[in-house]
Amino acid sequence: MSLDTPLDLLKLNLDEKVYVKLRGARELIGTLQAFDSHCNIVLSDAVETIYELTDGDLKSTERSSEMIFVRGDSVTLITSPGDDE
Amino acid sequence: MSFFGFDASLPGSNPKKQNGNKDDNGKTLDFEETYKGLGDYAVEEYDYLNDETFGGPAELGTDFDFGHGSAAALNKKTEVEAPSTYTMPSRSYVAAASSGADPVTRTSLDDTQDLKPMESLWTNQPRVSTQQPQGHYQTQGQVLSMEDLERQQRQRQMAASQQGFMGMAGPGYGMPPPHPQGFMQHQFPNQYPSSFSPQGMQNIPPFQQMQPVIMNQGNQATMYQPPLNNPTDKQQEQGNVSGTQPMEFPPGTQLGRSPQMQPVQPSPKPTNPGSPMIATSTMTPPPQEVHNHQQNKQTFVETMTQQQHQHFLHPQQLVSPPQTPRENFRYNRGQGRREPLTAEEQKRLQIRQAKVEKILKHSGLMTPRDKDFITRYQLSQIVTDDPYNEDFYFQVYKIIQSGGIVGEANKDLIARAYLEHSGHRLGGRYKRADVALQRMQSQVEKAVTVAKERPQKSKDHIDAAREGVLGKISSAMNSKAPRRQLQIPLQRLADESAIADDSSTAKLSRGSTPALEAVTETLGNVEIDQKSKARRRSSYAFTSVDQSSVLSRSGGRKFVLSLIETVYEEVLELEAQLRSGNPVDSAALWEALHIGDESYEVCPFISMLSFDKGVKIMPRIFNFLDNSQKLKLLQTFFGELSHLNIIIISSYKTNASPSENQLKQIELFQAVFLKIIVSFLSNSANFIEIMGLLLYLIRNNNVSFISTSKIGLNLITVLISRAALIRQDINRSNVLSSPEISAWNEVYDKLFTSLETRLSLVFPPKEYTDKTVSINSRPSASSGSAIATPTMPTISTSSQYYDQAYIWQFLASLALSGKLNHQRIIIDEIRDEIFGTITAAEELGKNQQDQTASLYKREKLYQDLNLFLNVMGLVARDGEITELK
Repeated sequence: MSLDTPLDLLKLNLDEKVYVKLRGARELIGTLQAFDSHCNIVLSDAVETIYELTDGDLKSTERSSEMIFVRGDSVTLITSPGDDE
Repeated sequence: MSFFGFDASLPGSNPKKQNGNKDDNGKTLDFEETYKGLGDYAVEEYDYLNDETFGGPAELGTDFDFGHGSAAALNKKTEVEAPSTYTMPSRSYVAAASSGADPVTRTSLDDTQDLKPMESLWTNQPRVSTQQPQGHYQTQGQVLSMEDLERQQRQRQMAASQQGFMGMAGPGYGMPPPHPQGFMQHQFPNQYPSSFSPQGMQNIPPFQQMQPVIMNQGNQATMYQPPLNNPTDKQQEQGNVSGTQPMEFPPGTQLGRSPQMQPVQPSPKPTNPGSPMIATSTMTPPPQEVHNHQQNKQTFVETMTQQQHQHFLHPQQLVSPPQTPRENFRYNRGQGRREPLTAEEQKRLQIRQAKVEKILKHSGLMTPRDKDFITRYQLSQIVTDDPYNEDFYFQVYKIIQSGGIVGEANKDLIARAYLEHSGHRLGGRYKRADVALQRMQSQVEKAVTVAKERPQKSKDHIDAAREGVLGKISSAMNSKAPRRQLQIPLQRLADESAIADDSSTAKLSRGSTPALEAVTETLGNVEIDQKSKARRRSSYAFTSVDQSSVLSRSGGRKFVLSLIETVYEEVLELEAQLRSGNPVDSAALWEALHIGDESYEVCPFISMLSFDKGVKIMPRIFNFLDNSQKLKLLQTFFGELSHLNIIIISSYKTNASPSENQLKQIELFQAVFLKIIVSFLSNSANFIEIMGLLLYLIRNNNVSFISTSKIGLNLITVLISRAALIRQDINRSNVLSSPEISAWNEVYDKLFTSLETRLSLVFPPKEYTDKTVSINSRPSASSGSAIATPTMPTISTSSQYYDQAYIWQFLASLALSGKLNHQRIIIDEIRDEIFGTITAAEELGKNQQDQTASLYKREKLYQDLNLFLNVMGLVARDGEITELK
């Protein structure tokens, strides 16, 4: 298997937990199920964290979903989850 | 036949030689020197004289009889009739002569025994006579005339022989000393007409008179003695003689015997005519000595028998018998009567002698030690572990006997028996081929293991030394897997502090988990995630427990992940081909699995199983592997079990507080991979393969560590229970060969030894079970209620509890395969757990709240426990253990 393009590396993380950073101060941690060249991705068992800054306070809300499709244009970063999971 | 003449003239017992010395001494001291030590020059070119040396040419297959009797009898015969070989009579003479030996002469003879071989003899250099050991002869002038010598010797001989005569020398040969001269002179010229001068001969007669042997010897002595009186000349001449004439004597003859043998060697021809004469000299004394003749006749029988006694015995024996009073008496009696014995008397005597003869025939041939040795040896032949095997010849003989002489069929039988017996390529009676194969395999295996471990150790060492300076050095450095990364050691310290050795780890994880937590706390600034917590490991796998280290040692995480992707691609491809009905070739897939790839410390395949997707693909991989590939895969799997992430995760020692995720992983692994293994073992693996897998597991892993993990315990259980099943199956159909059984016993013993004294460790500590239970119960129960009270963990969570069934299954299968003493040890070690379970079950019964649930749990506990107890014919019920009915 060749590892020529960046997305090939992404392929290695299929079925692994990934950390995905999105526009709008959101992040997702879930198991990577699928992706395409537009970086559209499908995550399973995903937990979405939304950060809000209201009056100088950082507030975060979490939402979990069994399966979620993320449109590629909102993805800014994909990596393996940090050690804190 | 042979050897006797040999023995008879053993050194010290043979006076003849001494006599010979005396004989020569005046002029020829060389007799001794000439032949002494000749045997040391082991030149064998003149073997053709051996016949004469050792006795008549023995036909092939001749039954050599070492009993003195038969030989003597034979001698007697040869003497009575015309002896055909010269050696025969000479032997008897020797014996007779020995009987007459008196102590004095014997000792003096002994003095001469230690002479060194005479070198000058071979170099032809003159030798000085002072080297002659016989001190009392040295006093004699060296240039005595022949006559002088003769006279002297005769006198001496007479004195000596008279002594011997009186003292019961060879009575039969007794000829009065005064008269020999004429007789001898008369005879010798005839005997040695050409080669020997009469003067030389004249030295001898006295001896001959006394004892025929001596005559014999005298001949020899004189034969080599030239008329010259000068000893050096003589020696030289003898040297010459030895050069031209074969002088080699068998080693044994070089001492006292050599003189006796000599006449044979230098001139076999002339001696032959002489032998009958000698015989006649004993048998029919010449007319001059009439009264001697008479006496001789009278005592003939006696002398013969005495001769028989005296002949070819050990020196002591040779000498002593005639000296007994009885012999003396007999002799005297014979002397006294002076009249021939009646025929009856003679017959009686003969019969008697024959009897004695029989008894004495072989006496003294063996020492008690010899006999003891032979007895032991014979007994040792009787005792055997494997009578069938040891009795090979009997088995074949039996077949031959029973088969009659049916020719071809018989041959066939024999061949089969032979093959069956001795084992062959296809396995003989005991399927030895298997054993040999196994042995070879295990040897190869061992060699590989050793080779593998050696560099690993040293590498670890180097790593430890360099670490901190260069970061963590990837230890997989070779051409195939060059160094890929520097790893900054994050949790090394935690590892090392947590892991001292196995036992202490056990204590730590059991008793002082809080302390470990504390260690983790102090390292809080270092990021420690679930994985790193999982690095508080057992001693054995402390590099393996670090999953990233395992990954790096098998090529790195990326490499393993890409391998998984490759495998997926291959599998998908193969499945597509299968769907389209094309033939499938799994070679590429097999390649991608990297089974048996030695270029990595940890097989990449093992690392693949660290990922869920790697586990999940396994059933699909197995679809495309043949049996041998599956076996190889499982061998690798069991061989490197300690590196398997799932084992580390599922061991309470290395992962005291598993996360929900890890528990899910464990479950997944059980559901997927264990299932594959079980189905493979039960469908396609034979007994030896299962044994081999177990052996791989035992050899390469710390079994006691593996047994602390649920997955590891499951795997061991699967193996040994399957083996036990096969064993039972096979016992019915009787297919299992005995080497298989014994090999299994050996493997089992190994397994048991590695588990012994640590069996109780298969039970996870309460903290661990509590934690597991709490995690498992989280979805159903509220997390708050899941916190266990330390004393009654199983009760605290009403609906959830730690399922120990797998432990009891393991113990049950372990006990099932073991012998009674194994079972005893098992029970001994886990006694506390057994009673603890019973107590817990009983308390559940008393617990009033939630009747049905606790009743169910109680039943479950007993069920699990009985699983184990039933194996040993026990059953636990209502708080008591009773015998199973």
